[in-house]
Amino acid sequence: MRAAALLALLASLVAGSSAPVAAEPLADTRARVLVWHAYRAAEEQALLELIARFNASQSTYRAEALALPYDAYASKLTAAIPTGHGPDLFVFSQERMAVWARDELLAPLDEDAIESGREFPQAALAALRSGGHLYGLPLSMKCDALYYNRALIQTPPTTSDELEALAIRNTDRAAGRYGLAYEANDFFHHAAWLHGYGGQIFAEPTHRPQLDSSQAIAALAFVRHLALEDRALPEEPSGTLVAQLFNAGKAAMVINGPWFAGEVQGVSYGIAPLPIVSATGLPAAPLLTVEAALVSSRSPVQAGAKALARFLVSTEGAALRARVGRQVVATRSAYTFPDIGNDPLLTAFRAASEKAVPMDNSPAMLSVWEPEKRALVSVLSGANSPTAALAQAQRRMLAMTRISPPVQSPWPYAAIAAMISIAWLAWRRRLSLKRVTARVSTRRGELMRAILYCAPAASSILVLVLVPFAIGIGLSFFHRADGHYTFVGLANFIDILASRDYRVSEPMSFWFTLAVTLLWTVVNVAFHVSIGLGLALLLKNPLLRFKGVYRVLLVIPWAIPNYITALVWKGMFHRQFGAISALLSALHIQPVSWFTGFSTAFAANVMTNTWLGFPFMMVVALGALQSIPQDLYEAADVDGASAWAQFRHITLPLLKPALLPAIILGAVWTFNMFNIVYLVSGGEPGGSTDILVSEAYRWAFQRNEQFGFAAAYSTLIFLFLLGWSAISRRIAREQPLENA
Amino acid sequence: MSRVKQRPGALAVHLLLIPVCALTLYPVLWVIGLALTPHSAHLSAGLWPLPAHASLIHVRELLSSRNSSGELIFIRQLINSLVVATATTAVGVTLSVTAAFALSRFSFPGRQLGMSTLLATQMFPATMMSVPLYAILNRLHLLDSLAGLTIVYATTAIPFCVWMLKGYFDTIPRELEEAALVDGATQGQIFLRVVLPLARPALAVTALFSFMTAWNEFVLAATFIDDQTRFTLPVALQRLVGEYQTEWGQFAAGALLVSAPVMLVFFALQKHLVGGLTAGGVKG
Amino acid sequence: MTDVALRGVHKSFGENPIVRGIDLDVRAGEFTVLVGPSGCGKTTLLRLIAGLEQPDAGDILIGGKRVNDAPPRERGVGMVFQSYALYPHMTVRENLAFALNLRGTSRVEIEQRVREVAEMLELMPLLDRKPKQLSGGQRQRVAIGRAIVRRPDVFLLDEPLSNLDAALRVQMRGELARLHQRLKSTIVYVTHDQVEAMTLATRLAVFDQGKLQQHGAPLELYRRPANRFVAAFLGSPAMNFLRGRYSNGHLAGDGFNVPIGALSATFDGRDLLVGIRPQAMTLAGPDAAVLRGEIEAIERLGNEGFAYLKTPAGPLVARFDGGGAELAVGANAGVQLAPESLHLFDAVSEEALA
Repeated sequence: MRAAALLALLASLVAGSSAPVAAEPLADTRARVLVWHAYRAAEEQALLELIARFNASQSTYRAEALALPYDAYASKLTAAIPTGHGPDLFVFSQERMAVWARDELLAPLDEDAIESGREFPQAALAALRSGGHLYGLPLSMKCDALYYNRALIQTPPTTSDELEALAIRNTDRAAGRYGLAYEANDFFHHAAWLHGYGGQIFAEPTHRPQLDSSQAIAALAFVRHLALEDRALPEEPSGTLVAQLFNAGKAAMVINGPWFAGEVQGVSYGIAPLPIVSATGLPAAPLLTVEAALVSSRSPVQAGAKALARFLVSTEGAALRARVGRQVVATRSAYTFPDIGNDPLLTAFRAASEKAVPMDNSPAMLSVWEPEKRALVSVLSGANSPTAALAQAQRRMLAMTRISPPVQSPWPYAAIAAMISIAWLAWRRRLSLKRVTARVSTRRGELMRAILYCAPAASSILVLVLVPFAIGIGLSFFHRADGHYTFVGLANFIDILASRDYRVSEPMSFWFTLAVTLLWTVVNVAFHVSIGLGLALLLKNPLLRFKGVYRVLLVIPWAIPNYITALVWKGMFHRQFGAISALLSALHIQPVSWFTGFSTAFAANVMTNTWLGFPFMMVVALGALQSIPQDLYEAADVDGASAWAQFRHITLPLLKPALLPAIILGAVWTFNMFNIVYLVSGGEPGGSTDILVSEAYRWAFQRNEQFGFAAAYSTLIFLFLLGWSAISRRIAREQPLENA
Repeated sequence: MSRVKQRPGALAVHLLLIPVCALTLYPVLWVIGLALTPHSAHLSAGLWPLPAHASLIHVRELLSSRNSSGELIFIRQLINSLVVATATTAVGVTLSVTAAFALSRFSFPGRQLGMSTLLATQMFPATMMSVPLYAILNRLHLLDSLAGLTIVYATTAIPFCVWMLKGYFDTIPRELEEAALVDGATQGQIFLRVVLPLARPALAVTALFSFMTAWNEFVLAATFIDDQTRFTLPVALQRLVGEYQTEWGQFAAGALLVSAPVMLVFFALQKHLVGGLTAGGVKG
Repeated sequence: MTDVALRGVHKSFGENPIVRGIDLDVRAGEFTVLVGPSGCGKTTLLRLIAGLEQPDAGDILIGGKRVNDAPPRERGVGMVFQSYALYPHMTVRENLAFALNLRGTSRVEIEQRVREVAEMLELMPLLDRKPKQLSGGQRQRVAIGRAIVRRPDVFLLDEPLSNLDAALRVQMRGELARLHQRLKSTIVYVTHDQVEAMTLATRLAVFDQGKLQQHGAPLELYRRPANRFVAAFLGSPAMNFLRGRYSNGHLAGDGFNVPIGALSATFDGRDLLVGIRPQAMTLAGPDAAVLRGEIEAIERLGNEGFAYLKTPAGPLVARFDGGGAELAVGANAGVQLAPESLHLFDAVSEEALA
């Protein structure tokens, strides 16, 4: 009875919370303008206050904000806008703007262009133009500058030679002090040096990315010198590490953006522009990201969205965002207020932004980050020379900018598919006819009951899994370019399988990645099952004291969101500051650079994933062990069987029906478990620890949204797993699918 | 009970389990350390993860943050998460348990195909599913509702639950059901009064699994829900990870708070992981 | 008091016919034992009566009513499974009360009937235990109690004693017999053990290869087996058989010629299968012996015993009186037989000859 009441309550809660909020205190009949953003803290507060002011200032529109996690933001926009459920106005940088513009998800704001010319810096506007249209109004500008600890640096360096000298002077590795700390392996920060050495990401006049120019090599050689010869940079720098070093007074200078100011605690610091590169006399011009208010082309209240956008970038709006949100606003007139115009942080970054190079908003830019990152990591870890690394990066980048395969007619494929399915159906039918005649006595009642029992689960699976799955497979025959899909037949598959862009032995080839994925799966599942089962065997003893406590403690790794624990593990693997290095040092063992070699990076991934995954297998094994009757052990004891013999002949065989599903599914999940690899090794070194599904993910969300190609990867993964499970079942002469 | 004496002594088991637990908990201590360190960054060198001066400021900030309408956002989203995870468990286990029973006990055409299909659904990378899924939920008018989210999560959990439960049902002797049949039970009564009580360990495992499926997920929740008041806790937590910087302290505090109910659920469920439920039922 | 009748019942599993056209009448109130070697279809027959299997052809009648399509719970049968099939998650009390609970019997009545059955089967001290805390014999009694408590019209017992040790089996056999006396209900009992069959049955039905071989009172079957199978199956040690041609009071085969007494003249020159129970074949001195052979094994039971011989007519078992101390394996011995206790079967069809 209690359970029923609880269920009813639950049902009403689910249903109740799904109903639209009807209880608005005052019926506001104004048209709603929905604003999506990923701002947090002060920036969010400023935005919300401006929205309130906007709502109070006019009577036509009522704006409402929805704050989203950044990690889910872009994919939500991509999914939502085409269906008309998206926002009317949203805040995003120019990074994906051209892709969205190409897909016709953005409304042009050309009517604002003329006036904007006076109000906003040209660089900011340039960042928001695509195909001759202006697609957003610039809110704030984000680029790098040089933070320096006033206690250590009296005058900030104006040239790179000075910077280097200061960095060397302030470095004392034994004391953990560094002259310069920044995320050197992140291309966003490195780009300044590229520009300083006279290089550009995009070569003109073709306007295609060119990553291996001589200037790029020189810039990379300079950073390599800082890191490996001067040893003035911390290794494997992350944002947290940089902030921590600076706050501890152990980093004299930091290259970072305006957001870094919020992380500085208890250090008196100054901000200077990045220095002039001594070799060229050119300023190290940072990349400029422009956060803009973008209007959805599907919005029914575009006029309202535009009005709000204009309000946000107006003098009043910009001033508030500068004061409350601490944003380096793009609106010039806001700086006429003395408190803003004299604010050291805002003026420093405004000055930096004037020299900055706006990040290209074209889809090609999306294919630059990953190859550049790999090149930076390999050079800074000493594994590669700048020339070789950048040549590799260029190849990688070209492989990602896929040329559209020739368009094909879908009909021959449709005909073949139809023929195959007819043949298959006929074959199945023959089989089932045979079976039915052999089992005339199968009662109709049993069939009806089976249908009744299976229908709810089957229908939800059909609608929510099989349909998207069919769409996914269908997509793999298409190429997505300029927001449109064209049928290309098997071209995507052929490109992948023929490993068109890489030799088979190279880490980026399909076959290499497949081999790594297999190794990853086998090793992980072996650890999960052996540790999980071992612990379950220890913990099943009914007389063991505190077994409840042990069980709960051991299930914790599964309970904590793995985003943070994976990053904690990555922190523990840090060459200089990680706990594992500390432990090795305490044992007088030379610490290892985990992510510079394949085997150590792979081991780091496996350790993390083993830690995360064994509790699940332990819980499953605990459950499965309960299906074994205790008297079998008693009989075995009488027979004088050893503990091992009992395990081998009783536990394992009897455990199989209940444990095998978890192992098979665990293998499939591990095969497709990319976030641990993504978070821990990030595929380093050189993409060699990546697994197949990370490729699919990158093609879908990081490389120009090539859903067709990503779908082809996914389909191959699916086919491979399907074939593998069929073959392994045949080889093992084991039929877990039918336990008749 | 004689065999208990023959097992390695309890002391040896404890001596084995304590270091394993210590190893397991060590990374968790780092999370605790992050949560207790005032100010943002903390990934300091050394072996000892906890800060010298602990502070609960992150926990307090997290618990006291309010949304624009002044509501305590953490509590609100905790309730959402509890509702979704509990409903997912109820729906997922109910759907799975019936399907698994049919797959284990009835012979009907398509049974094998059904099992294979369930496995096959797990083989297609989930990353490719979210965009089509969004369009389908849109058609079904299930977007922006906890009910829609619950159905998606429950469906995600079904394949594992069905496989696990079917595997367990297969180990329950059929004679027990036949005995009940002769005793006058209907199929439904057999299912509820004989099979389910005996499948308690497997039910506990699948319940925990379903709960976890819903509990820590944020990408789908953030994608399908358009209203702050309906966001689940992981979405709120993930909001702390920004494009340029992350509130590690609050994130760690939140992660620990998020994991506490899971441990409670597990602690409650684990008493059902008791040995030899079917023992003594049948002989030979 | 309900009778059970099977009419032309067939049942196959896949390509395997298990029950091949069985007609059987189980009279009300009788203790009927279905007996036969394993795989003869007797358990399937029991399950068909219970409703756990559906016949491919033929009718099953309980109390004169055709029940082919009725589910088990509508057939008024109680069943004791070979494996007992106790509900492991319930106490003995709950096991006993389960069926009554399902029918919505009032709590007071359940309590009373459970107590009644528990007292009858001496289960009172065990009522709050789970099955796994019971010994084999106790579980067996619970299984029987669970069937009794519903007061079914027909009891079906599937080899209920096969999991017990020998002493317990004898004891339970006695209890079952007493139980039948007391309940006077119709019992269908399946076993492969002919001793159980002989001692318990009011009437006995012998099966082989899915067919009913003979049906009748145990002694009648023992005395007048309808065919060689029944003759060989009942009785211990098993009946001896001699195959040969009859003429002039002698049965002659390859290497032997045994006087078996005068038979009807119609048998003259006919090939016969002659059965003699070991009890009717005794060891004899050289003068009285009709057949000689080498002793291969000796079974001494104290005041009598059996000798296993290899003779020209095939292996034979012969009885001897006393301790048989003078006998030795490997020695030669002769046998004599009592002509009045011969069983005659057709050599080809192996059916009994009048």
